[in-house]
Amino acid sequence: MDVLALDAQSSLVAPLFGGVFQGAAYGLLGLGLVLVYKSNRIFNFAQGEFATVGGLVAFWFASGATVFGLNLPNVPYLVALILGVLASVGVALATERVVIRPMFDRPRVVLVVGTVGVALLLIALEGLAYPATANLESISDVLGISPRLGTVDGVAILYEDIIKLIALAVLAVGSFLFFRYTATGTAILAVSQDATAARVVGISVERISMITWGFAGLLGGVAGVVLSLPGSSLFPGVFTGTALTTAFAAAVLGGMTSLPGAFVGGLGMGLIEAFANADVKYIPGLDTLHGSGEVTVAVFLLLVLLVRPRGLLGKAA
Amino acid sequence: MAAGSETLPTPRLATVTVAGMLARAVVIAAVVAVVLGVPFGLGSKVLSDCSLAAIYAVIGISMNILVGYAGQISLGQQAFVGVGALVASNIVHTNTVTATDPFLFALSIAAAVGIGAATALVLGAVALRISGLYLALVTLVFGAVAADVVFTIESLNGHSAGVTAVRPAALAGDGAFYLFCLAAVAVVLYVDWSFTRTKAGRAVNALRESELVAQAFAVDVVRYKLLAFSLSGAIAGLAGGIFAFYTESFSDKTYTYPAGFTLALIFLVMVVIGGLGSRSGVVIASAFFGLLNPILDWFFNTIGRADWYVDHKNYVPGLIGATLLLQTIIMNPGGLGQVVRPIGRWLAGGRFTFHDESESADVGGRHVRA
Repeated sequence: MDVLALDAQSSLVAPLFGGVFQGAAYGLLGLGLVLVYKSNRIFNFAQGEFATVGGLVAFWFASGATVFGLNLPNVPYLVALILGVLASVGVALATERVVIRPMFDRPRVVLVVGTVGVALLLIALEGLAYPATANLESISDVLGISPRLGTVDGVAILYEDIIKLIALAVLAVGSFLFFRYTATGTAILAVSQDATAARVVGISVERISMITWGFAGLLGGVAGVVLSLPGSSLFPGVFTGTALTTAFAAAVLGGMTSLPGAFVGGLGMGLIEAFANADVKYIPGLDTLHGSGEVTVAVFLLLVLLVRPRGLLGKAA
Repeated sequence: MAAGSETLPTPRLATVTVAGMLARAVVIAAVVAVVLGVPFGLGSKVLSDCSLAAIYAVIGISMNILVGYAGQISLGQQAFVGVGALVASNIVHTNTVTATDPFLFALSIAAAVGIGAATALVLGAVALRISGLYLALVTLVFGAVAADVVFTIESLNGHSAGVTAVRPAALAGDGAFYLFCLAAVAVVLYVDWSFTRTKAGRAVNALRESELVAQAFAVDVVRYKLLAFSLSGAIAGLAGGIFAFYTESFSDKTYTYPAGFTLALIFLVMVVIGGLGSRSGVVIASAFFGLLNPILDWFFNTIGRADWYVDHKNYVPGLIGATLLLQTIIMNPGGLGQVVRPIGRWLAGGRFTFHDESESADVGGRHVRA
């Protein structure tokens, strides 16, 4: 039991920072989930793939990869990142036009199955286009600087981690202001509450649906690009597999309809997971258990759904 | 048999002519020939592939009970299949490669059924409180967590090397094992058919349409929801047990990410494409997905693009599944079931007609609760 006697400082700092930075990833994906839920009342299982498409397309252009047997031009890094985000927006708009709009009046569950289908389709297309693992060059390598901003108690803080956090904060606040203060944002909420009534007062439901999904694609694309900045490995379905379920947990914890809630929920889930993964080492007998972070997140999600279904910042249904 | 009554249908077989009977007999004989004759004619490899198709059909039926009849969307079905396979393989596992004792084999299959039902019961208890879209999320998380935690316990998964589950001597041959799988499909089909014709089956159907209304008609919501979950889990566990003997080993990698996640999606895809609630449609669609890999192998070898296919093997089935899924829900919500229903009616002695006033077509002729 003398492991517990390790100095508390170093055992807490690593999961604290690791949790916040990983939580930013969940928050970024969670924002997109909340946006679609706010406007269409559905869970968008394709949000993780909107992000993957953004990261992969940025990589393809930044490295001049051969995609579907087509040699892509080698473009400047920043342009590649923008192209990645644009690709996500394009994919999201196509999803809206082909899958969501024709089924607007169908039961919600059917629409959810539709987004599952889109996720599966995107994973397959990414794999057919470029089956290998991709590594986008990290932004610090491109700029020729040290990736480390500094170290706190021996834990390295990367530039990319800070970018992640800033992007999350800006997008969360920006989306929140968009829904609160712009006419379009209010119109999106109106359509989600009663599409027919919104149409009666002169709102184009089709245009609003297009804007919503374009925005969701934008959030997904930015998430995918920002999360790929440290030069981490990208493969087909990466964000659906590694982050989507926890991002859902983050969105549910935040209240599913609250954009700041997704921000808070994302960081909360990141921290819970990181501490659960770290603490298990100190509990005798559990050190061989896999996925303790995942289990804790799952149990937490269940508890939130059972005890307080509207989450922390959500309004009562 | 009151001929003048409006409420009772007139006896159908009376209208079938001798030629009609012959035509139906020919069609049934052709189906039997395809299911039995073709695999046995084409040899061991095809027999083995068809065994997998039969196992998928069993999984499809288990999905259909939960998603099609009870309207409870499940993205965690691979967990039930996985625990079935895990338990069955651990029961029969020995360190020497010898044929399993038939009694032990039967015991392991029974245990797989039991553990599948028990696992599903846990999820069913959650579904009593959480419904609709949130349940889809919970089942997804449940499947992922069950896979990553239970299946990675090293003392159960043979320290990641797999647990061998050798078939009993009588089923060692591919032909015998295929017949065994077909028998399992037949038994499960019979159970499913009986279920839909009893009070329990009708109660579960009523739950799907509206829990409140069902309750008002004195349907015990808790009891029948749990029944639907445990029946579905039991059948999925059975499929898992058989699958362990099909591969003759349990490997955790089949059920953990990413393979397990793909399985969960494929299971949902096959039940939607088959047509929610349509027994025959789901069996056909499931068998198709069970056979998809060998079909693609054969296809790409035949057109001489095997080298391309090897590089992209993991993604071609996903592309086909996703395309068919989207095509089905957007353009043909009844799925395959809607297509084969007139044929089924005709085979049962009715007239061949595409019109069907008695059933609405939404998702597979079923309204899934949102």
